[in-house]
Amino acid sequence: MLLLQNLSNALILACTYILMAAGLTMVYGVLKVLHIAHASVYTVGAFVGVLAFTRLGNFWVALAIAMFVSGIFGVLIYRSTYFYLLNSPRTVPLIASVGMFVMFTDLLQKPFLMGAYQRAFPAGGAGLPAVKTALFSFTAKQVLILLVTVILLAIVYVILTRTKLGLSWQAASMDRDMASAVGVNLNQSIAANFFLGSALAGAAGVLVGVYNNSVFATMGDLPSYKAFIIIVLGGMGSLPGAILASLILAIVENFLVASIGYVLPRDSIAFLVLILMLMFRPNGLLGRE
Amino acid sequence: MLTIENLYVRYGQIEVLHGVSLDVGESEIVAVLGANGAGKSTLIKTIIGWARPAKGECRLNGEVINALPAWERVKRGLAIVPESGRLFRELSVEDNLRLGAYLREEQETKKQMEVVFNLFPILAERRKQIAKTLSGGEQQMLAIGRAMMSNPRLLLIDEVSMGLMPILVKRVFQVIQELPQHQVSVLLVEQNAFEALKIVHRAYVLENGHIVLEGKAQELADNPLVKAAYLGG
Repeated sequence: MLLLQNLSNALILACTYILMAAGLTMVYGVLKVLHIAHASVYTVGAFVGVLAFTRLGNFWVALAIAMFVSGIFGVLIYRSTYFYLLNSPRTVPLIASVGMFVMFTDLLQKPFLMGAYQRAFPAGGAGLPAVKTALFSFTAKQVLILLVTVILLAIVYVILTRTKLGLSWQAASMDRDMASAVGVNLNQSIAANFFLGSALAGAAGVLVGVYNNSVFATMGDLPSYKAFIIIVLGGMGSLPGAILASLILAIVENFLVASIGYVLPRDSIAFLVLILMLMFRPNGLLGRE
Repeated sequence: MLTIENLYVRYGQIEVLHGVSLDVGESEIVAVLGANGAGKSTLIKTIIGWARPAKGECRLNGEVINALPAWERVKRGLAIVPESGRLFRELSVEDNLRLGAYLREEQETKKQMEVVFNLFPILAERRKQIAKTLSGGEQQMLAIGRAMMSNPRLLLIDEVSMGLMPILVKRVFQVIQELPQHQVSVLLVEQNAFEALKIVHRAYVLENGHIVLEGKAQELADNPLVKAAYLGG
């Protein structure tokens, strides 16, 4: 019983990891850039979400607005920075990305934006019911996270596998020049990729904000490196790999925290898992070649 | 169709093409022959838009295309069979072909896929197979098929015979030879001058970034210099 409850808690944690890592994986696939500033998009998503929610009072509308603004924010990051660095060595956009992340975090802490305090995000379960069975239970908030994640992943799956746009992303992730030479408008295709990936990060920010009933300017710090552990574990650029890695990491964290949590804090466990995994599978769980 | 005038291309400090001029007419097959490192691939890359000229002009049907990205050139009727194919290796044969027709409607894509399957029946058999699992010859056919999917007006072909068995070279060249019947022009870059001169209408000889000879295929095949340098005496 405790086991199952632990597993269901891990599942919820995994959902937020997945939403965050899915966008990163998509961006890495097409641009081969480690997009650290993705965590800023997550924070902005949470911030916009909480602002929209306090003004409009409807969680779903707030979520949609937050995802849209996050998507636009992601596209702006791409067009203002990575776009000009496409043909530079990979360290250049990486450094630019770290720079942007630090800058946005500082900027968001300014009093005219988020300030240095936490805001409550009292959306609760957005009217969804809690689920209680003999073996495990989900609170309304957990049901909300599960539901939103499953819906968003289904949308991503359909776009990736059933649309020309998704096909163009796959092509660009294998050979960008060649994709261009079969007629893929790379500017549009990559911008759309950033939009979707960033919208997912925004959704993750909103969900975590609601779950912890707290939104603050530095909330992206932890996800900024957690998401990296996940995409490295999953095999760079592999979406199924990222999902699998999210689940494994969440499960390991939950169980180890329960047993040895007093020795090692939760977040160092994540790195231990990464190091151990890389010793045995240097290309990640589902990495190519 | 395609006119290239006084083209200079540099990679960093190194100039690869020093004032190349050539043209390809409607429904014409033209070859650019030359040894390794003569600048043939650079020429093709500049025409598709993967390299930018430092000087000179590429014109497609009278329009200067120097600054256009590759996808804009595809829209205007160019397609490429690049060196070693550059297939989308993790995707199926069908998805590779579908990408070749990226700018076309679903209906036309299906029709064109049948055309390509008629040309290379083996691809129809392997339609669900992942591209990287195909044999070398099949991959080369898929690369040509993918380029045909956009129904191009001018097909750029880079070293298609390289690494192919002689019997496949013949088959591939036979397909190329029939392209003008479908109103497709071809610019072919080849080391295999012997086979190329059998199927092209005209050819240019590129040496160290300069065009040193040009003429009808037969004239070049009879030229003693060409014989000595490219046809093995």
